[in-house]
Amino acid sequence: MSNDDEMVGYRQQPGKLPFSRPGSGGKNQFSELRDIQLIPESQGGKKHQPKGDHRHDPLISGTSIGKSTALVDSKWKVTGKANYGDDIRLSNELIGKIVRSPHHYARVLSIDISKAVELEGVIAIATGADAQNSFGVLPVTKDEHAMAIEKTRHKGDLVACVAAIDEITALEAVRLIEVEYEVLDSIHDMRKGLDDSEYPIHDRGQYHIGESNVQKRVFQEFGNIGEMIPNSVANHKSNWLFAGVNHGFTEPHAVVADWDPSGRLTLYTPQQVPHYVHRALADVLEIPMHQINVYRTFVGGGFGGKSDPFPHEMCAAILARKSGRPVRITFDREEVFWVNRGRHPSRIEMDIHADSDGRLCGVQTDALIDGGAFASFGHVTTYYNGVLHTAPYELGAFHYTGARVWTNKPASGAMRGHGAVNSRCAVEVGLDDIAEQLSVDPITLRLANLLPPFSATITGFRITSIGMRECLEKVKKASNWDKKFRQLPLGHGIGIGCGFFISGSGLPIHWDPNKFPHATVHLKIDMDGGVTIHTGAADIGQGSDTVVAQSVAEVLGLPLDMIRVRSRETDTSPVDLGSYSSRVTFMNANAAISAAMEIRKDLLKAASIITETEIEKLVIGDRRIFDKQDPAIGVSYLEALHKAQEDRGALTSSGSYRTPPMGRAHKGAAAGLAPAYSFSAYVAEVKVDMETGQTKVLEVWAAHDCGKALNPLSVKGQIIGSCHMGLGQVLSEEMKYSRGGDLLNPDLLDYKIPSIHEMPKVNPIIVESNDLEGPFGAKEAGEGPLLPILPAVCNAVYDASGIRVNELPITGDRLYKEIEKKCKILKISNPLNLPNPSLIHSDLQTVLESRASKHSERDLERILSEEKTPYHNGALFGMNPEVPGDEQDSRWEIRVIPDDQYLSNPRLAGSAWRHVERRKRND
Amino acid sequence: MSRFRLPMIPASDEVSWTSKINNVDFSTTIASNSILLDVLRNKGGSLGTKRGCDLGTCGCCTVLVDGIPKLSCLTMAKEVEGSKITTVEGLSLGHHLHPIQETFAEYGGSQCGFCTPGFLVVISALLDENPNPNDHEIKTAIEGNLCRCTGYQQIIDSVKAASEIMLNNVKIEDSTSPKSDPHPGFNN
Repeated sequence: MSNDDEMVGYRQQPGKLPFSRPGSGGKNQFSELRDIQLIPESQGGKKHQPKGDHRHDPLISGTSIGKSTALVDSKWKVTGKANYGDDIRLSNELIGKIVRSPHHYARVLSIDISKAVELEGVIAIATGADAQNSFGVLPVTKDEHAMAIEKTRHKGDLVACVAAIDEITALEAVRLIEVEYEVLDSIHDMRKGLDDSEYPIHDRGQYHIGESNVQKRVFQEFGNIGEMIPNSVANHKSNWLFAGVNHGFTEPHAVVADWDPSGRLTLYTPQQVPHYVHRALADVLEIPMHQINVYRTFVGGGFGGKSDPFPHEMCAAILARKSGRPVRITFDREEVFWVNRGRHPSRIEMDIHADSDGRLCGVQTDALIDGGAFASFGHVTTYYNGVLHTAPYELGAFHYTGARVWTNKPASGAMRGHGAVNSRCAVEVGLDDIAEQLSVDPITLRLANLLPPFSATITGFRITSIGMRECLEKVKKASNWDKKFRQLPLGHGIGIGCGFFISGSGLPIHWDPNKFPHATVHLKIDMDGGVTIHTGAADIGQGSDTVVAQSVAEVLGLPLDMIRVRSRETDTSPVDLGSYSSRVTFMNANAAISAAMEIRKDLLKAASIITETEIEKLVIGDRRIFDKQDPAIGVSYLEALHKAQEDRGALTSSGSYRTPPMGRAHKGAAAGLAPAYSFSAYVAEVKVDMETGQTKVLEVWAAHDCGKALNPLSVKGQIIGSCHMGLGQVLSEEMKYSRGGDLLNPDLLDYKIPSIHEMPKVNPIIVESNDLEGPFGAKEAGEGPLLPILPAVCNAVYDASGIRVNELPITGDRLYKEIEKKCKILKISNPLNLPNPSLIHSDLQTVLESRASKHSERDLERILSEEKTPYHNGALFGMNPEVPGDEQDSRWEIRVIPDDQYLSNPRLAGSAWRHVERRKRND
Repeated sequence: MSRFRLPMIPASDEVSWTSKINNVDFSTTIASNSILLDVLRNKGGSLGTKRGCDLGTCGCCTVLVDGIPKLSCLTMAKEVEGSKITTVEGLSLGHHLHPIQETFAEYGGSQCGFCTPGFLVVISALLDENPNPNDHEIKTAIEGNLCRCTGYQQIIDSVKAASEIMLNNVKIEDSTSPKSDPHPGFNN
């Protein structure tokens, strides 16, 4: 470790990778040893568990888990009774509208509201002067204001806002506000953001990186970089350009702010992360958090796009405060694109090296990502572009340079598959190319390079359950891969892609995990027997309310109709970090189980008193608690409940979840840490029209390892929906900017979301790896399933046409240009005569096959053995699996700062390191 | 868009407007240039009819005008004066849901639910006309509706299940019927 000053004080266990006993920390430790004898006989007794037992097995009552379940709030949605942001109508409401900057980058010299004030019906006007405090989703990068303070940083940036009695008046007032600007030179090409600038878009004071627009830069080297290239026999090199994409949720942002007579603010907003808005409002309005109630309405799709605290939410609160009346602000679709937070436009250089044994001896990634005008989640995105492709494969060495720059565009942020999607696409396409160079099957290549269960990645992430192998094997079989790959006629192809994603972020954004749990759930049961769940997890349509209800129902042996979830208001819900990083099922359901176990104990105790049976002999079934040996002895749920309530009335309990200590201690070690990871493998079959370049996806086989499908209906829905969104990015969706930097398609007509006709048949395949720490074995299924579809389609396009695309989306004109180019090079006039890619296996194929089958046995052994011996990345290359690489080989290094040698010839994003932070400069 | 859109001409005429919304006669006064979507949401009591894009591209605002699906964001209210308008709120009969509402919930046709009202009215019109549609007919019917969550597959499953319910005349239970007994097997 070369730079000690870069070591930061995360409270983690450095170095050693402890395989602690599964279980959450938090208030309710429930790491009891598993006792499968406790599974009720009525539920199948000692049921077959191919992946071993789970600590939640004894809690299974057979009522809910694993059964396809309609979302608990679906009846509201199908009757029109679900109230989304704009459906909150309070009496005496005002309509808020926003004055937006017409310039890409400008200094605000003056704002004249005199004419607007005089317009009849205008009640309140606010400008940046009314809210000086900055905010932002990450505490380290609070760079947003409710309205421009000094500068506007992109076209559509907020300058002022108006509340009036109706929409027409508000729009007219917006027109009457006169703003004087001094236009500044704007930056639109992300590469320009790496250079010094006269007026950087933000000024971070002593932490500013040179005078540039670099918002965040990352340098990471793991392993023996020097040996990576000399050892390789196959080398992939590609240079990708990914267009930015927008979430495209159907509900535009809308917010209602209302200050009640006691002076408390209620903010009605469709938010994925009410807690962060709660914090930001307190900062901006300069009132304590307890004076604010954030009410999450139904959310009409989030996908990451409703997880920042937004300036318009601040505006509504400010206008409502000034006017003394409720204020509703609803965006039109164009404004949704102005606020954006979609996937970063990216330039990714991907180098992959493989040695003569078909091992991946090195991956070098350089990712420059275009952050737009604000930081948003970008700090994390910059890491994720690198660290989230260090698995599922065992790597010899890993080198990542990443940089995120500010440009004068609507801000990029978190979007489904946050930060992992683009670089994953580049990796998986690279592997396809490596397989081609080695003349082996790309699925076999992957199967022979997988990390085993209970292992550590090269960057020190703790892999527990891993269903990658099963995913690959299942899609291979289902798609009839062996009969199709490289054997279909020209214009028809099949391709594979894999994915790896976090199941909840290991570190919460806002606090030290040792101080607060990640998720907390409260339960309350009164005499009626119905269970009220209080949780702060935001249901954004993914079904988090349902999964929490199912978990509680399962533990207490109740049907779902006896469970009601209250998750809307921060006044009544325990703090929850919100719906992002695919954390809700894992963390919230764990907290819910923990809370339900408390109640379960009370019920069992009561039943034991009534039946005079030992507690240990009792089990819970459907609304009944009975003796396992003699089911005739037992009491109904209500009887036990009433007995339990004799002393203290309503039963209440609280459960929580926090992640176990994980990870290593280098700078950035926390980014990408998760208590579990999901894995997926997709095969896509496509048709490419060689004469027009049009690509049509025919069918997708999509296997996803979600640990355990608590609600298979929802898991399948997430897999198919992810395919839909990923297909949009790979084939048609793109935020197009003109040369002058104008966004050309801020509407759903030109921003092309796939319709029903573009959607292929998707065959979802659920793989259950039974994660030891997941609730009943579950991991995430919301984001990971998006990753593999992009490379699967790219690789299928290659199989069909012989063209390696490196620019997304693969529109007809782009692909046809490549086809034309190839025709010219090969001097072929008719694209239909282009050579069709073919494959004759080399000797390496059998070597890889036998390695894969050996690894398959090894993996099963590791899953089933009680003793989890450490396995660190590198064992495949002959290193000692018991200790991390840097502790056994002095040439195996971890570096997080580039040396002079690197800086003399940096790659694109790496060149961000040529700047010196202001505080470290001597001038 | 507000900053860049030309201001609408203020102070348009107030005119009276009548129609039959979900089988109930409805009359009000509206600005003569009102769009049907605004009238339904702001005056007609149908907050279930959603605004997704303002441009007729997403289908969230679809309602039935005399039984025919129409994009209410592209329809002037005056155009449909006197018509019979059905919104998502008009699909169920009291607490008996329309089969497509029932199956949308059960088969995962709805995730976030924002596009759902548009899909439901379009599909109810399809099923009225053709209770047993094939895949192609279903796809053609909903081609104007965007859904960002489901990838459409579970929507098609829902339509097929609803069609089965309608063909077999299966009765859909009143949603207010008694739920699970917390004290099973005992008489209180």
